[in-house]
Amino acid sequence: MKRALASVCFVIAVCIGLTPLGTSQETADLRAAADEAKPIPILSGGAAFVPTWDSGDPTLVSIVSPVLLVPISRNLIFESRAEFEGDFVRRNGNSGDFTGAIEKSLEYAEFDYIGNKYATFTAGRFLTPFNIFNERLYPNWIRNTQTDPLIYPIGTGSDNGLMVRGGVSLDPNVTLNYAVYFSTLSTINHLESERHAGLRAGLFFPHHRLEIGFSEQHLLQDARINRVGSYLEWQPARVPLDLRAEGAHSREEGDGLWIEGAYRFRNAKASLLRRAQAVARTQVFHTGTVAGINPDLPTIDTKRTEAGLNYYLNDGWKALASYGKTFTAAGNSNIWTVGMTYRFVIPLGPAQ
Amino acid sequence: MKILHAFIFALTIAASVAYAGSAADAPRTISQPASASAEDINRRWMMEGEKRYRTNCGRCHQPPHKFQPRVMATAVRHMRVRGMLTDEDMKYVLYYLTH
Repeated sequence: MKRALASVCFVIAVCIGLTPLGTSQETADLRAAADEAKPIPILSGGAAFVPTWDSGDPTLVSIVSPVLLVPISRNLIFESRAEFEGDFVRRNGNSGDFTGAIEKSLEYAEFDYIGNKYATFTAGRFLTPFNIFNERLYPNWIRNTQTDPLIYPIGTGSDNGLMVRGGVSLDPNVTLNYAVYFSTLSTINHLESERHAGLRAGLFFPHHRLEIGFSEQHLLQDARINRVGSYLEWQPARVPLDLRAEGAHSREEGDGLWIEGAYRFRNAKASLLRRAQAVARTQVFHTGTVAGINPDLPTIDTKRTEAGLNYYLNDGWKALASYGKTFTAAGNSNIWTVGMTYRFVIPLGPAQ
Repeated sequence: MKILHAFIFALTIAASVAYAGSAADAPRTISQPASASAEDINRRWMMEGEKRYRTNCGRCHQPPHKFQPRVMATAVRHMRVRGMLTDEDMKYVLYYLTH
């Protein structure tokens, strides 16, 4: 495993080393023009109210997730995201008042130093770069289907440590992106972290808007398990379709796959319809060799298929509804969601 | 594990096809005459910036409308880190969003 990790790091280093060096006058001019706007701190984030009925039992899922971005210098930025989530359920299952605690978590608080065009150095608490859902698609205002994928608990969460990452154009047709990280064990309340070493590498083909990649993670404590994953993201230029898929495998925890398509009716004749997006996702999960090693995963083999509709009211608000069915050997069940999400951006300084 | 193997195999095929297609179809960079005016350069940067904005921003979320320039200057740095934009992508997108 360590040898494989070292080999991939070596390949990434060679690829980066082979990319053309040098800065033309025009590139310098572009940098100067782009740098005219000085960055200011901003408070961004999202809020969501997504009631969910799973097997007939309602849960009022309410989430507020502020993101703070503080540029410290041209190349150094501090980023942080917290999450306040209340999953309110009825006292007696299907009757009585809704009750529940609000869970608070610090999802990341990191310093990012853009060292050069090949590498950004991150220190602090960061989102584990295992596949793409955790880092890129997790916030409710971003995700197309509101429920978490079944395999989401494999290899994801937050880590405290160091990371090197970057995006490098190998040639006009291919961009390599990578993240290599090491994290340390922490049991501090709200700052929990496992001891990991891992990497993610992807190739992005900009002309086809296609990205594929893989992830690898080694748990350096307790069961010392290995996790591998792979992902695909495709947005054809001529069709307003988002196609995403992820697979993950851990011998002990289990393995699975999800694939999701989201079609935005951008070309519809009726302007009201152009704001609508139809979504469908199907997924499968098989349990691993050690039952219960990851308590967030299903305990038996599970399949789930969901379909829904998102409606973008404006740039910030999104209404949504979906229906899905879960299939297991213990029985099938329905899952409904309906709700609203909101995204906000507040400048914390003179914005012009 | 069989599912993951099949998925990885499909990804490899997709990458190979995409790369072969890109190499054949990719528009070549058009060299500009030395006398290109500031307006020509601005137009070219704006077109390139818009193209990269549409290609990259939608990978994670619905491409947002433009915000104020100094807000965009921060947001694009966030995208550079989170979305792993290349240095060149960041400059073009920032130019497009702030001009």
